[in-house]
Amino acid sequence: MKDFLRQNGILLLAIALLLSILIGALSFVMGGQADPLSDLMGVLTTPIRRGVSAAADWAEGAYGYVFRYGEMEQELKDLRAQVGELEERVRQGEEAIRENEQLRELLGFQARRRGLTTEPAKVTGRSTSNWESTLTLSKGTSAGVDAGDCVITETGVLVGVVAEAGTNWSTVSTVIDTDTQMGGIVNRTYSAGVLEGDFALMNKGRLKLNYLPEAAQLVSGDEVLTSGRGDMFPSGLMVGRVEGVFTDPSGQTRYAVVQPAVALDSLIEVFVIKDFEIVE
Amino acid sequence: MTRRDLIHKWTVYALGLLPVWVLDAYILSRYPLWGTSPMLLPLAVAAVAVLEGAYAGTGFGLAVGLLWELAYPGGFGGLVFYLALAGMAMGAVSQYALSQSFAGCLICSAGVLGLLDLLRVARGLLVDLASLSDLLQVAVPEFLWSLAWTPPVWLLFRTIYRRVGGTKLA
Repeated sequence: MKDFLRQNGILLLAIALLLSILIGALSFVMGGQADPLSDLMGVLTTPIRRGVSAAADWAEGAYGYVFRYGEMEQELKDLRAQVGELEERVRQGEEAIRENEQLRELLGFQARRRGLTTEPAKVTGRSTSNWESTLTLSKGTSAGVDAGDCVITETGVLVGVVAEAGTNWSTVSTVIDTDTQMGGIVNRTYSAGVLEGDFALMNKGRLKLNYLPEAAQLVSGDEVLTSGRGDMFPSGLMVGRVEGVFTDPSGQTRYAVVQPAVALDSLIEVFVIKDFEIVE
Repeated sequence: MTRRDLIHKWTVYALGLLPVWVLDAYILSRYPLWGTSPMLLPLAVAAVAVLEGAYAGTGFGLAVGLLWELAYPGGFGGLVFYLALAGMAMGAVSQYALSQSFAGCLICSAGVLGLLDLLRVARGLLVDLASLSDLLQVAVPEFLWSLAWTPPVWLLFRTIYRRVGGTKLA
């Protein structure tokens, strides 16, 4: 300890304290934008992050090909059958869309539109902490990605919301993270609620649809979509399915536990919604 | 020890930290064990502080804290001071109360990890994040799984210490 005091150890501790305060203040001031130090670090570590991610993805693919070939073959058969069923439903849907357009025209309603401007991005990192659920993406502000942008899969399933954006990287809080809060709606009953991450449920890979109306009659398997209330996030994005309905310990409100439709552990590529225009 | 020796020594320590960081940030986080990823960076600080003493432990803790805050998402700054302080405390404890051995490193690692998880649980309770039992369900496995990584981290830094540590380059 004498050495510590002789070698200006207190000065080192003072520097550490100042750096802590500086980083804390910068992250507070910058909000969703990465502070300059974190941004620089993110840019410098990008090659390592991308290299490790590419190697791990390749190894997982090779492992799957060698050890799960039978399973994958069965999955392919199931998917082919599913494609057949979906093609039939698409034909029925197209018919319904045509009819809907004609009726809207007759009533003088504005044509329904759904335009999403997306940016593809690779998942280069996953949650490093057990206390949050995040993903790191390969795109940042240089590609037009900003904090608050929604992130979806290629099939339009909600992955999460960009929490912090750096120059060529961004961090996404996934749908199960405790920071998640957005309007949700049950597709079958149109019961609206608030989609919220819950710490206890996060570790089970689930989230809550909170503040459900008392009259809401939900059943297990009901689809939950984003409601788009507040125009912050696009409406109609698939979030997941209802697993069960419970009453809050206070007895005041009811909530549904939702199983996300996205497989967060196996995501490789996602799409960031940079802009959207939806006319219902 | 000349300035050049000092730079050489800490470059080797930094290179030793590199695989620990890559493993912690990019590999083990992809493959959590029963949903839990370990924290390896505090173990690196504990190992270096036990081997090199309070002053070097503080400096190494500061550097690792900076890495943790800047290269990982959701940093708020506190880890820089926490790890510098922990490095100083562990270095002092190993010099005066414990020995420069694996047992000393294990006790110091348990201390730094335990206090970190305790702070997180306290913060969770303070902001009403979840109930105590829910928070402990995350904190306890994290503490144990992280502590299980002490032997490889200790071996790595002891190897470095035996080659360039202390005043060996002088």
